[in-house]
Amino acid sequence: MSARPPTLAEILLGFVQIGLSSVGGAASPLRYVMVVRQRWLSETDFSEIFGVAQALPGATGANVAAMVADRFGGLPATLVALAGFCLPSMFLAIGLLALATRLSASSSRFVAAETAVTSAVAGLFIGNGIRMALVLWKANTAEQRRWRAARVGIIALAIVLIAVFHMWIPAVVLILASASLVSEWQARKGERKQTA
Amino acid sequence: MTETLLTIALRFGVLSLFAIGGGVSILIPQLHEEVVRQYHWVDDRAFAELIAISQASPGPNFLLIPLIGWRVASWPGAFVGLVAFMSIPLVLSVTVGRILHDRENETIALLRRAFRPLTGGMWIASGIVVARTVDHAVADVVVTIIVAACAIFVEANPLWWCVGAGVLGALIG
Repeated sequence: MSARPPTLAEILLGFVQIGLSSVGGAASPLRYVMVVRQRWLSETDFSEIFGVAQALPGATGANVAAMVADRFGGLPATLVALAGFCLPSMFLAIGLLALATRLSASSSRFVAAETAVTSAVAGLFIGNGIRMALVLWKANTAEQRRWRAARVGIIALAIVLIAVFHMWIPAVVLILASASLVSEWQARKGERKQTA
Repeated sequence: MTETLLTIALRFGVLSLFAIGGGVSILIPQLHEEVVRQYHWVDDRAFAELIAISQASPGPNFLLIPLIGWRVASWPGAFVGLVAFMSIPLVLSVTVGRILHDRENETIALLRRAFRPLTGGMWIASGIVVARTVDHAVADVVVTIIVAACAIFVEANPLWWCVGAGVLGALIG
């Protein structure tokens, strides 16, 4: 952490920059501004905070912003950080949406482009999910391999319950997160026993 | 109007609790269910437009929430949506951040591990739901499959896949 905590203005500017440069996830601009450029946090501090932010509900970027700013200046800093993080890009996105709606009313070419972008986004989501599944499948210890069937089961159940049965997502999350917690806890216990 | 704003606040406030693993995009199936099928605030095409803009515009992905709010109830909708979605996670983050300050925590590590398969599945489900709203022609399905393959095997900024698809769509359409 730097010698002196950043001022409100510095926090605001930092998070405006992070918000506007977040494309496809806030992780890399967060790290770049807070660790590399401003040196508000060390690399270890950052990855620790990022990990906690991911384990909590809500958008990871906003959670990181809240936790870091709260450390530096309590509630005022937190509100300033979140406003800087969200509002400029929100105004920009709403402006673009208004423009897009007008264009799509007059141009079929634009509608086609927009549809293609959404098709690409669908592919992006599916690709992200498959990539996560592949990482989970490549288990490196015997104990991990034993539990990967449970992980694949959870992935498959999530897909079927949501995309096929349109089940209420909060229920899906509660049920599958508990199941996953139990299996990961067992897996870790097994790993410990082997290393002990 | 007030009723719509209250609905937005309540629905998005509840949903924020279930945005796990950091991705708001995994909530899209539920958003689609409520915004399109239950409340009929927008149709499939307008919903697809919201997704395209929220992904292609610079900024965090959860801007989809205030974008929906704006479409449904103009500026009040955008701000109510944003605040409703951010409040509970904000309180939780600050509280947990203060408790965990400078401490290694095993529960957090276990929680993150447990969320991985669930969020993996939810990403795929979300992709399928989004694809169903737009992929009506063979060409659209092909775009989805190609981008999925690219996302798996090529390390690149995802924005490029969106831009590429948009240009292609404009040329063909």
